[in-house]
Amino acid sequence: MGKVWAFFRFIIVMGLSFVILYPLIYMVSCSFRDRIDMTDPTVMWIPRHPTIAVIKETIEVLNLWNTLKNTLIINIGCSVVQVFSCALTGYGFARFDFRGKRVLFGIVIMMILVPIQIISMPLYSLFRNFGIGIFSVNLIDSALTMYLPAMTANGIRSGLMILIFRQSFKGIPKELEDASYIDGCSPLRTFVQIIIPNASSAFLTVFLFSVVFYWNDYYVSSTFFTNSETLGLMLKNIDSELKMRLFNTVAVDVDPREQIVWKEAGCLLSITPLLIMYVFLQKYFTEGIEHSGIVG
Amino acid sequence: MKKIPYRKKKELYGYSFISIWFVGAVIFFLIPLVKSFLWSFNDVTIETGGADTSWVGLKNYVYSINTDEKYTLLLKDTLLETLWKTPLILVFSMFTAVILNQKFRGRTVARAIFFLPVIIATGAVYEIISGDLGRTGNISAGQFSTLFSTNSTGRLLQFLGIYGTSDRFNEIISATADNIFSIVWSGGIQTLIFLGALQNIPKSARESALLDGATGWVFFWKITLPYISPFILANLIFTVTDAFTSPINKVMRRIYSMRDDFRFGEGSAMAWIYFGIILVSVGIITSLFRKFTDEERKNG
Repeated sequence: MGKVWAFFRFIIVMGLSFVILYPLIYMVSCSFRDRIDMTDPTVMWIPRHPTIAVIKETIEVLNLWNTLKNTLIINIGCSVVQVFSCALTGYGFARFDFRGKRVLFGIVIMMILVPIQIISMPLYSLFRNFGIGIFSVNLIDSALTMYLPAMTANGIRSGLMILIFRQSFKGIPKELEDASYIDGCSPLRTFVQIIIPNASSAFLTVFLFSVVFYWNDYYVSSTFFTNSETLGLMLKNIDSELKMRLFNTVAVDVDPREQIVWKEAGCLLSITPLLIMYVFLQKYFTEGIEHSGIVG
Repeated sequence: MKKIPYRKKKELYGYSFISIWFVGAVIFFLIPLVKSFLWSFNDVTIETGGADTSWVGLKNYVYSINTDEKYTLLLKDTLLETLWKTPLILVFSMFTAVILNQKFRGRTVARAIFFLPVIIATGAVYEIISGDLGRTGNISAGQFSTLFSTNSTGRLLQFLGIYGTSDRFNEIISATADNIFSIVWSGGIQTLIFLGALQNIPKSARESALLDGATGWVFFWKITLPYISPFILANLIFTVTDAFTSPINKVMRRIYSMRDDFRFGEGSAMAWIYFGIILVSVGIITSLFRKFTDEERKNG
């Protein structure tokens, strides 16, 4: 009985792994073939005309090095401030009792449930005239539209992050903090010196997820931050970028099937950094969620 | 100097820890949320001095439902899709979690592969790969793998002798086979949450069940399922909201294009209709679920 199940399990695991890896294998296969292979029905996986020209062209179209630099700056900057602001908030909710706590925590839950699309239009007008009366400035296309919400724990998916922090802080024994209070530490110092070192894996998990969310985001950045060249945005607009930069005209008529080679190459280029990160830090992605008992 | 009582002091510390978030939440979340709701009843134009609004009552809602040629259609499609896909994603992710929780060779690699969608499926990449795969006919037309195409699934069912037992059943099986890609790719986080729940099942429960001679099947229904049932609800809510914010959600794309046309009033109304339906259905499911689990508990 055990052997039979082991056999079936092997088949199921292999099959599902194939389904998951399929687009990635396809991506690699497409990125290294000439566009004429796309319309050749005999070519499925192994390119008939292997080439690295497509990758080179895509690097050019995406303006990759500059784009990568922009993406990394925004990404890491926002993630760092977001991690700390969310951690402070999570700690407040995990350890202190105050009036209105239930209602306030309800707002955190709302932040998880309400999709950004609902509030993006008023947010646009907010950033368009940020401030009061004549002291208002136009923040659209400024990096502040990304940093300000991140700084105040209201960035991309920060509700989820506050929740993860709250759960993992609750798992830290209270005695540690009591000891530090008796020694005369202020709550903030206790947080910095006792909590942060003890919850370092939660910090790493949230940081990694934050990097991933900002990396993949194009909705927020395409709403408030249109001029910047970040990877998510470039990829979103890859159709027009391709036509503009590669064929020098918008009116060019390229078979959509043939365009796939550049698109897939763009995908490959943009997820490679994430994949490398994932390979080395996979443990923190998965264990962080498992141990935080996110819903418990 | 009057001393502040300890309780009061702790309360103040609590407020100061959440104060940064609270200020942000008011500016970047609560006010925009209320505004968006109000805008759905207004004609909105963006001027240099701010948003210019004029009250039009339910006009935007009527427009979205009656006049807009795409919205209702997309809404119906998307809601139906969420309706049948969500249970499939839940069952699938529970199944995967149970498998990944067993000990076998190569488990680490299998886990790494199964959670890969978590880091990719929120972005533009996902949109491109699902679009491209569709365009080359790889998803539904059966080039993907002969097993996944509808016909061979039918044949497989026939072979197993369960084809034609009920039309509805056949439809469900075929739909699953056709959409295996999107189901597998939407289940990453859910699998992770179920896996965490499975690992919290105490060893003693397993041991006593084994001692009583429970088979794996009985063990799943009597021990595993009750333990992870609270997580089913959490995952359900997660799946629904995830489908809502997915980059390939067509209703959201419609709203997105309204925003690009600066038609904020109509866009807000469309977003709120969708959000309202989702919120009400999640609410109903949650209360039904609570009632059900409470009764279970009472019956022991």
